[in-house]
Amino acid sequence: MSADVHLGDLLERARDGDRESLRELVHELNPVLWRVARGQGLSAEDAADVVQTTWLELLRRLHEIRSPRAVTAWLITATRRESWHRQQRGRRDRPDSDGVLEAAVDPGPPPEQRLLTDERDEVLWRHFARLSDRCRELLSIVAEVHRPDYAAIASSLGMPHGSIGPTRGRCLAKLREMLLADSSWGGAS
Amino acid sequence: MTSPSDDELLAAIARLDRPPADLDERVLFAIELDHIDAEVARLAGPAYAGSGARAAERTRTITFEASRRTVMITVVDRADDLVRIDGWLAPGAPLEVELRLPAASRTVVADGAGRFVFDEVPHGLAQLLVHASDGRVVTPSLVL
Repeated sequence: MSADVHLGDLLERARDGDRESLRELVHELNPVLWRVARGQGLSAEDAADVVQTTWLELLRRLHEIRSPRAVTAWLITATRRESWHRQQRGRRDRPDSDGVLEAAVDPGPPPEQRLLTDERDEVLWRHFARLSDRCRELLSIVAEVHRPDYAAIASSLGMPHGSIGPTRGRCLAKLREMLLADSSWGGAS
Repeated sequence: MTSPSDDELLAAIARLDRPPADLDERVLFAIELDHIDAEVARLAGPAYAGSGARAAERTRTITFEASRRTVMITVVDRADDLVRIDGWLAPGAPLEVELRLPAASRTVVADGAGRFVFDEVPHGLAQLLVHASDGRVVTPSLVL
């Protein structure tokens, strides 16, 4: 069964009040939503908060979702929107001159250093952070979703359906090229 | 060094930056609500409600904003490893405020100025619900 059909079934059962299906849905999709929020440049704490808010919104609108199979796209879209609002609020509360320019090229917060125990993960993160926003966002999502539903991802990222596969390939090729050109990547093997 | 395959790269990307271990638990607690019709109040300002990152701070102020109401709380650590929550509703009104905890719920009524207090609250997950005649407001879960 493809991922979207499975998740759609879970959503329908959750809608009928099945708590276990709701738990499974959360478990399956949380890593993706986390990555989407982080990809928008949020801190770990803000990202965790945005993911929760997104689920609360889903619950409120559970009966409005016409196409259960589109639940992944719905959640990704909602997470991006919440992340954007969260950032606007953060910016508003921050003293100015903190650099809109800086934010524009900010590759997003690095994972906590202590988590990068593997030296090569560190190298990978460094290069991953240099990819374009679009590449980072797309690769983060396809890295988390097994058997991804490209149509759903395309609609939530506002990309033409047919361009997901080629973009994914181009982003991975770019990353591979950067890694192979870095002696610290090859040397650690 | 051989060239990593697409699958290897994606597997490595998936290993980077994992969600916090308690994220599922926090989400599931937050959505366990009976009142799913409630408006979701957004955290305003920096998130201090974290799981340990700011644990050294003795007092944390957290503000949640909904369309018609703001809920501000100050969480004060007590000497006995419990916390006290001092809260304000704006605009002030004597509304029912519910504190959801994993074990049970507690409910108080705010005074006319919108002030409310929950004392002797254990550390851990919590969530606030404000019951108003024009609709309920719910916050995301926070870690006290």
